[in-house]
Amino acid sequence: MTNTIEIKNLNYRKNYRSILEDVNLTIESGKTVGLLGENGAGKTTLMRLIAGVAKGASGKITVANQDGVPEKKSVISFSEQLNGFSSNMRIDKIIRFYEDVYPDFSTKKYNEMAGFLQIDEGLRLSALSRGMKEKLVIGLTLSRDTKVYLLDEPFGGIDSMTRKKIIQSIIKWKSDDAVILVSDHYVSEIASILDEVVIIKDRTIYTQKSAEEIRSKYAEGIEQYYESIYEGNDIDD
Amino acid sequence: MKFDDKIPIYYQIKNYIYRQIIVGELAPGDKLPAVRQLAVNLTVNVNTVQRALGELISEKIIEPQRGKGNFVTEDQGTIEKLKKLLITQQLQELYENLHQLNVTDTEIVSYLQDYIAKRKQVQ
Repeated sequence: MTNTIEIKNLNYRKNYRSILEDVNLTIESGKTVGLLGENGAGKTTLMRLIAGVAKGASGKITVANQDGVPEKKSVISFSEQLNGFSSNMRIDKIIRFYEDVYPDFSTKKYNEMAGFLQIDEGLRLSALSRGMKEKLVIGLTLSRDTKVYLLDEPFGGIDSMTRKKIIQSIIKWKSDDAVILVSDHYVSEIASILDEVVIIKDRTIYTQKSAEEIRSKYAEGIEQYYESIYEGNDIDD
Repeated sequence: MKFDDKIPIYYQIKNYIYRQIIVGELAPGDKLPAVRQLAVNLTVNVNTVQRALGELISEKIIEPQRGKGNFVTEDQGTIEKLKKLLITQQLQELYENLHQLNVTDTEIVSYLQDYIAKRKQVQ
């Protein structure tokens, strides 16, 4: 299996404060990986560094064999990209924008997902409920044909039916060799779709484990395992 | 279906398919849904479904046909054996639990008979 994401000796400081220290991480192609950690642990920062949106880190990040920022941007679809739009913009305009800006954006795929998720395109961004906004983010992000999808907390504050629909669309529309990195601090809902979990703690990657290994080796749920790490009850390997 | 997050998911998927075959939801020779469809139905990862199906194939419970998909075995002997295995697992659990309560073998038999008789009355 080939490595889609390779991070070596990554260090990142902001305003003289160390945010991430000595991060080393390898993610194989095709994996769905949960990036877990407390609020403020550095999950979003790590995603922004991978996407090339945040700059100034030392170390090396390679994505699908690319290490230049423009090249990386063409192989990564990042959920944060929707944040740049004005709130009175209409959804159909945003979709046109994606079609114009990203050559890999598939309108056909988007329309399939929009039908499945029941996205109302006549509305303006500001009129969307939290759940509808997350559906739109997922629809737009996954409709690009890239090697990596970065989904930053797509389940924050949404109801369980919407969450289930979003999770189903991730399973349904993820291509076999694409990597999905999804961050969350609320694990149990997505545990069943994860191949691996990566836990950020104390400004670095505390551990990276296969989800099935956590279940078979420790007879623990992912949530339980994650909590035990944050509560300091270390489990010996 | 709801998974127990403490037990490997591929194992639970296998059990789910075993049960479908035994109760006849999946008849001998039936085609299983495509891998991705199964993953969506069960809300699990495609790789996990693949692992479960891989084991079912090596156990000869399902048979892959190139370019066509996976089919439930038509070998009645294999299905019978599977059914026996699952029944034995249930019995073993019951037997061990009752033994832990210091119930003897003869008592287990009579308790079971009483229980079945009572259940019949309720129905």
